[in-house]
Order: sequence, then structure tokens, then C-alpha cells
Amino acid sequence: MKILAVEDDAPTLALLVSSLEEAGHVVEQAGDGQTGLRLARETAHDVAVVDRMLPGLDGLELVRQLRALGVQTPVLFLTTMGGISDRVDGLEAGGDDYLVKPFALAELLARINALARRPPLGRVETIIRVANVELDLVTRRVTRAGHVVDLQPREFSLLEFLMRNVGQLVTRRQLLESVWDFHFDPRTNIVETHMSRLRAKLNSDGGPDPIETVRGSGYILHADIS
Amino acid sequence: MRTYRDLLRSAGLRFTLLYTLAFMVSVGAIGWLTVLAVTDALERQAQRGVDNEARALVDEFNAGGRQDLEAALTGRFANPLTHTRYVLIGADGHVLLGDAALLPYTRDPAGPAASRSDVPLTAARKLGDGSIVLVADDLTDVRDVEAVVTRAFLTALAAAGLLGLGTALLLSSALLHRLDAITRTAEAVVAGDLTQRIARTGSQDEFDRLAATLNRMLDRIGGLMVNLRQVSTDIAHDLRTPLSRLRQGLEATSHRATTAGDYRVAVEHAVEETDRILDIFSALLRIAQIEATTLRKSFRPVSLSELFHTVADAYAAPASDSGRTLVARIVEDAWVQADHDLLAQLFVNLVENALQHTPPGSTVGLELDVRGGSVLAAVRDDGLGVPASEREKVLRRFYRLERSRSGPGNGLGLSLAAAVAELHGGRLTLSDAQPGLRVSVTFPVALPIGEGVAG
Repeated sequence: MKILAVEDDAPTLALLVSSLEEAGHVVEQAGDGQTGLRLARETAHDVAVVDRMLPGLDGLELVRQLRALGVQTPVLFLTTMGGISDRVDGLEAGGDDYLVKPFALAELLARINALARRPPLGRVETIIRVANVELDLVTRRVTRAGHVVDLQPREFSLLEFLMRNVGQLVTRRQLLESVWDFHFDPRTNIVETHMSRLRAKLNSDGGPDPIETVRGSGYILHADIS
Repeated sequence: MRTYRDLLRSAGLRFTLLYTLAFMVSVGAIGWLTVLAVTDALERQAQRGVDNEARALVDEFNAGGRQDLEAALTGRFANPLTHTRYVLIGADGHVLLGDAALLPYTRDPAGPAASRSDVPLTAARKLGDGSIVLVADDLTDVRDVEAVVTRAFLTALAAAGLLGLGTALLLSSALLHRLDAITRTAEAVVAGDLTQRIARTGSQDEFDRLAATLNRMLDRIGGLMVNLRQVSTDIAHDLRTPLSRLRQGLEATSHRATTAGDYRVAVEHAVEETDRILDIFSALLRIAQIEATTLRKSFRPVSLSELFHTVADAYAAPASDSGRTLVARIVEDAWVQADHDLLAQLFVNLVENALQHTPPGSTVGLELDVRGGSVLAAVRDDGLGVPASEREKVLRRFYRLERSRSGPGNGLGLSLAAAVAELHGGRLTLSDAQPGLRVSVTFPVALPIGEGVAG
């Protein structure tokens, strides 16, 4: 993937670039908002990672101008400390996701993947299929190998998020945000609890578990297991 | 130390002197008017006196002729006490008897123009034989009385002036004395002694009330300072523990680790420990940020009902996994003006606290109700509760009950919850659920967009 990284702190930027390149991405970098805006206008990127606090042209303003120019590159905001309205402000400026520093590298990569895989606007899916699992967004019914799996609403949302990001690492934080709309770290591991219930129901017919737990990070739904 | 210069500069002195001056001017004016009125009255009386005297002499003449008149006049000349003077002038214009100096007044009753200010009062009468008798009063008595009254008023004026000056000095000295007490205390506080308080007189006058108010202000500042100091100490203490653990772990690794696997495990531990430290920092910063926020521009209408359902839903499974029961009684359509993320964190913190601090088998209840203009949100449990004396303290940063000190958590959850409640115009209160603890938050109710303007 081609990624634009805009960050004013040089060591952070260097770490960001090397980590993304190691993960196989092509990275363009900018140390300030003006350069970032220029690069974003000149070339197309799959995802832009933008620090919120930038000297000169602020991260929020950069994205606002970008959107005004019609550039639709998905934007992931980085911020030092979750301020009270940072997330809402970021989304209202045209950002797509939001990550508080410090973050685990896996978290950053997972979010970049999720943003790049986001379906284009206008395309409405009603049924998602992964291997022998079928999820109907309209009737909210899930079947595995044709057998109905009876899921609670949150379990359904968990599965939906995993299926939309099939083959990719999905972090606990991503799930907390998308399923429960919790933008902080609760002490209790509610994702784990609900995930184990989802897995028990999904695998009740004795089939192999398509969900892999990645210790310390999150989960991957594999397509090649039926 | 108070100096004379301070005294002279004192506003009290200036006000009192000004007042004294005004008082003296009015005393002077009253005196002047009194002297005028008294003089006028006495002069009228003297005029009546000479008129009566002249009439009496005419009566003497009519009754006993010239001889009786002259006898009467001679008798009056002999009286040393009188200031009345007489002259009898014959028809030919010669002075027959009496004071020749009065001769000019017989022609012109007003007397010679040159000495008009010393004009004596006169009354002249023509007698049957063509002679003229003239009675004059030189106003000595009137002038004497005028002098006495004037002197009395001048004395009063001087006394008032002295009294005023004395009062001014005393009053301003007293004012300075009272103010000095306040100034001394203020200076001690400036110098760093926050325990100083202004001495009260108990008189409930304006100075005493000011002292009481200032003392209350000092109490508040002192309380905040103590709190701040406590928080700094707590932060230092609570960060020291994980930092020491981190250091010990790293040191042990550098001595003992031999394989790449050893190092990986050690680094993972170090990252976990660092995350814990960062969590404490984030929580502290967030509390500070929330407490410093007054602007609520990011607030939107939030459905507390929906939020409560989400929280109940998220925690029902973890609760039952740990042997506890989560029950919810949620009224629909409870809206508040709020920051959704902070409110979610507030109630998650409360539910996690309840689950963590109750023994297995307990029931934790989520309650949401709308009553009047308020949304009543509460999390209650039937666990061990919090003693009344501890309820205020557990809201403090890092404060933990003795029995839960060894458990997980950093002692910031309830502080954060209280700060969030306050930011939303609500108040977090702890009460006895009999048994157990009930933590409730009351919010002002808000209508969702588009529903408040109908009609």
C-alpha cells in the first residue's frame, strides 16, 4: 500500500516510516502540514497517517483543506493524549479513524488495513460470505455451512467486523470502538468474553475454529478454513 | 510599622477632616445668621425704647410744663446706668439743657451723613412752647450683646474644629489599626504562611465581616494547596512503584537473561509495565483536562438509555463469568447534553468498580430514570459498601480502601468518574444501598435535536 505519513517529531516519523516499510508498505513522508498537504494533492495514497498537532498548518486544518479540494484519501489521525473532544473534532474535520499515542505497531497496521479495505461509498452489501460462513446484514441472520447460528446483537457485530477484515489482524481496541463505541481501555476484557461466546456458537457443530487469537494484539478471521 | 505619614495619607483622616470642615462652615453660617437676627431685634427694641421715652417726656411737659420736664430730665441725667442721652432745645434754636452734641439730629433725624454707621437711635418731639426734646440711644447695649453672641459662636466654632480634628485622628488611627491586622495577615500569607488567619473582633461590623470572608478565602486556598501537595505526593508515590518494578525487571534481565527468548519475555514485561505507567499518566491528564474544561462545545445530545443498554450488554457476560449478576432497569428516551465517550467511560468505570469490589454471588444493578427535569443514573451493588467516613475520600485521586489496595486498578477510576459527572453539570454521590454501595449521578435532562422545538 502507498501511505503518506505526516508527523513533525523527527524520531517518531523515522520510527513510523521504518515500521510501515517493514510491513511492506511504500511510504511518503512529510515533517510539516504544508508539505503534507502538497504531497497529498500531488499523488494518490491509499491511506494518510496525520499527526494532529503540527507546526504551521495544523493536522485538522490539513484534512479540512484536503477534503475541500475533493481528495478522499482515508485519513488516520494520531494524537498524543486523548483530549476531551479530539475524536469528534477529528471526525468532523474529515478524518476516518483516530489513534492515541503511544500505540502498539500492530494497532497502527490493523487500522491502516481496515481503512484501505473500507468499501467505497455507494456500494451497499447485504450479504457477506467468508468460507462457509454467511452473514445477512438485512435479516441479521448468520449461517455456517447452511445451519443457522443464533447470535446476540454484539456477537453479530463482532463477526461482521471480522468478516469485513478477513485475513487481517483486528485489534481489541478496534473491536471495542466499532462494536461498543467505547473509545477508551476498560479494565475488563469484554472483547475476549464476547469473542469466546461467539466462537462457541460458531463452532458448535464441531467445525474448525476460523478465528485465530493473536496474543496481546487481537484476532484474525481466516478464509481458508471451512 | 505605622508612621505619621501613613496616618496623614489615610482615607479615614481625609474623610473626617472634610466632614469637620463642612460642619464648621455650617456652624459659622448659623452663627452669622443668629447675630444678624439678634442685632435686628435688639435695635427694634431700642427704637421702641427711645420712642416711649420721648412720649413720656412730652407727657411730663403737658402735665407740668417746662419746669416738670426739666426736673425729669435732671433726674434722668443723674442715673449713671443708662446709655440714653437727652437734649432740650429752645424755640430759638439754643440748647437749654442736655447733650449739645445731639444738636444736629434735631434737624435731620438720620444725623450727619459722615458718621451714619455710628448713628444713635433718636426720637424728637416738638413741645407746646416751640422747644424740641430729643432722646437718643447710642446702641452700646446692642453692640455689647452682639459682641457676646459673636464670641460665643466663634468659641463654638473653634471647639468644633478641634473636636473634628481629634475625631479624625482617632478614627483614622482606629481604621488603620483594623486594616493593619488584615494587612499583616495578608503579608504573612504572601510570605508563604498559609495558616495565618485575620483576628476577628466578633463585632460583626464591616471589618469583621470582611475578615470572615477573607479567612474563608484563605481556608479555600489552603485546602486547594493541601490537595495539590497531596496529589503531587501521591503521583510521585504511585509512579515510583511501577517504575521501581520496571527497573528491577530490567536489572534482573541484564544479569540473568541468556537467550533471545529470555530477552523477549523481559521486553514484553517492560512494555506492559510502561503501559501501566502511561495509563496512570493518561488518567491523571484526563482528569486534569476535564477539571479545567468549562467549554462544552463538543457536547451533543446523547441517549443515556442507549449508552446504558450498551454498557449492560457489554458487562452482562463478564459479570456472569465471574459469578456475579448484572441487572438493568433502564427507562427509554433519557437524553443528556454530553460528550458520549466520557459518559461511556464514567459508567464503565462505575460498573467495573462494582464488579471488582464485590464478592462473587453479588448483584450489580444499573438504573436509569427520568424524574422532573433530571436524569437519575445509578450503579448499585449488594457488596460490602463503603463506610460513610470514607465516601468522600474514595473520590480523591489514588485513594483506595484498605481492603482493595492489593487488587487491580490505580485508584483513579472514581476520581475520573466524579470529574466527568461535574463537567456535565451533574454530581456523583455515594450512598448506602443497604447492603452495598450505590453510586448515583444526576444530570439535567436534554431533549434530542428536533424534538425540543416541535409546536
